Amino acid sequence: MAKEMTLSGCAASAQAVKMAKVDVICSYPIRPYTAAMMELAKMVAEGELDAEFIHGEGEHAQLSVVYGASAAGARTFTGSSGVGVTYAMEVYSPISGARLPVQMMIADRALDPPGDFGSEHTDAMSCRDQGWIMGWAESPQEAFDNHLINYRIGEDPRVMLPQFVCQDGYFVSHIPGKVLIPDQAQVDEFLPPYNPGKHVLDPKQPVSHGPQIRPDQGAIMDLQRAEAFLEMPKVIEEAVGDFNRIFGRHYSPFVEEFLTDDAEIVFFIQGGHAATARYAVKHLRERGVKAGLVKLRFVRPFPTTQVAESLAKFKGVGVVETSTSYGGSMRGGNLLVEVRAALYDVPKRPLTTSFMAGLGGDAVTLKDFYWMAEILTNAVKAGRVGKTVYWAGLEQAVA
Amino acid sequence: MSIPVQTQTFPMLKKLRNIPKEEYYVPGHRTCAGCGPALQYKLVAKAAGPNTIFIGPTGCMYVANASYLCTPYTVPWIHSQITNGGAVASGIEAAYQVRIRKGKWQGELPNVIVMAGDGGSVDIGLQAMSAMLYRGHDALFICYDNEAYANTGIQTSPTTPFGGNTTFTPPGKLIPEGKRLFPKDPPQLVIGGHPAVKYVATASVAYPIDLMNKVRKALNVKGPTFLHIHAPCPKGWKFTESKTVEIARLAVQTGMWNLYEWVDGEYTYQFRPREYKPVGEYLKHQKRFAHLKEEHIAKMQAFVDAKLKTPGVPIKVPVPLPREQQLS
Repeated sequence: MAKEMTLSGCAASAQAVKMAKVDVICSYPIRPYTAAMMELAKMVAEGELDAEFIHGEGEHAQLSVVYGASAAGARTFTGSSGVGVTYAMEVYSPISGARLPVQMMIADRALDPPGDFGSEHTDAMSCRDQGWIMGWAESPQEAFDNHLINYRIGEDPRVMLPQFVCQDGYFVSHIPGKVLIPDQAQVDEFLPPYNPGKHVLDPKQPVSHGPQIRPDQGAIMDLQRAEAFLEMPKVIEEAVGDFNRIFGRHYSPFVEEFLTDDAEIVFFIQGGHAATARYAVKHLRERGVKAGLVKLRFVRPFPTTQVAESLAKFKGVGVVETSTSYGGSMRGGNLLVEVRAALYDVPKRPLTTSFMAGLGGDAVTLKDFYWMAEILTNAVKAGRVGKTVYWAGLEQAVA
Repeated sequence: MSIPVQTQTFPMLKKLRNIPKEEYYVPGHRTCAGCGPALQYKLVAKAAGPNTIFIGPTGCMYVANASYLCTPYTVPWIHSQITNGGAVASGIEAAYQVRIRKGKWQGELPNVIVMAGDGGSVDIGLQAMSAMLYRGHDALFICYDNEAYANTGIQTSPTTPFGGNTTFTPPGKLIPEGKRLFPKDPPQLVIGGHPAVKYVATASVAYPIDLMNKVRKALNVKGPTFLHIHAPCPKGWKFTESKTVEIARLAVQTGMWNLYEWVDGEYTYQFRPREYKPVGEYLKHQKRFAHLKEEHIAKMQAFVDAKLKTPGVPIKVPVPLPREQQLS
């Protein structure tokens, strides 16, 4: 029988990984993700999970170990946070290029300097161009669910790509929430055993992985990876549809709307701060502000069509960025760049701007969201946005 | 339900004519004429046989073998980054352990062999190599040592000998000897701090049966093992392509390379010369040492003499002093 537990995001992730019956896990300690590995280590030690649990000698090694294990036919799991995520950078492209459906949990942490335990999405977002699937969870429940959904998508023969399954450090990874743990039979129905296909490293059918190519042979391989991302929306819809049916959930595959029916301004957001944003939207509604929320569930593949269709309905969109792209075209993060690009072909575009919020792991408070709403409301009134980026808590609310 | 993992056991080889005819590293690759690393690869693959998976960190044995979507391996082979051969091997070995245990794959545990150059072993690859050996994976890590980053144009590595002329250690007015440092000692690094390792050996392309048997002994051991294989590089060391085996033999005869096995704490030695030749006999055939002056050669001789006297490598005969007319 499915049971309800109170779990942190990390503990929920560990439960999901256990129920996915992974074969090889590779760990290295860094806060805050490491709590998930501690849970998994206990499960292996207690004999609750039959997996090889390898102590990597660093994040680079973690990704290298699961690269080898996945190539040899194992379902794999690893994870990291902050500078650990960027330390492993060399290995991300070889994994996606080899079409290995490795799964990596990221519980965000601000990059150095200076040492900062807080959550910020820049660690993961810096890796968004490496050919991995990427999306955030808002709650421990969504973290649990996303691990299963991502294995299913990544291991689909039409996809065969690795997945960054992200959750905000601390805000999700360490704040307990209610998590419905399903029956193993439900998980087994949703997630078939990993079938590595005919290209597995196996002495019975020898193949070579990753020989050198000429430059003119590179483009076609890049195109194949790109095409897998084009195919993916279909696979995601199927997977999320099956997930909702089997587990009785109501996920929207790509963008989830909250109180948007007659909304004029919306927050466009991914990850844990969406939980606060929901409260802010409710309070704003009580005050007569027609606010709503649109939550992004996958940033890779970026659901261009769905984002455009959703956001075109509103007058003002505030993209809540929790990561930086210094010197970028929007002078803030990368999400607004993506949002504006998605809206480019829409006949009547909403006003768009972005808010740098939660950087360094700072909390994004209700007050911050009210402040953002004020800027958006003023912009809608004025018919224009003053600038493309506002730093929450660090400047006055003038549009 | 847990299925026990079975491993292979290889018999030792006695004569060259008895070695397997099958090749698992076939002709058609793009290594240089006289390539020492290619020769040892062929021997290693022959000794290991068909139930083998090679991990190939970036280096000559990646670039010159696995070119343009073609590879010479008839057993599974996977490229790894130059940084992570040991870690990728760890993952592969772990995957087979768990897949066999869970009944997802039937057969004896494949030989998992990392074929790394000196850079991929004891320089940028050291961390991953050490961790694989430390963690006790049932895998063989081979350092084929051509004493430089050869594929990128002969740059110095930690095993480039003192006095080596590489493109990063060119001799000049201020630095007449070229390379100023003495080389790292890979097998001693492994022996010194990896309690899970029970078998370490050095080998040379000049002694093929010895090399192949050391591969087999390593593979017969359950757990991590390490081989350090001397593989002369005609292009990098600048000698005639037909002399690869002679150069390799001279390295052993001069004490520049020592052949030994270390089995759980005990050393045994192979092909130890009755009398060591002066190092100049080895140096004079290689243009990478052509710039060396007598004082440099004396320094190198002293290094070799000291190495031969270190605990664990006892010598029975006196080591000759450097001769004066060694470089003609």
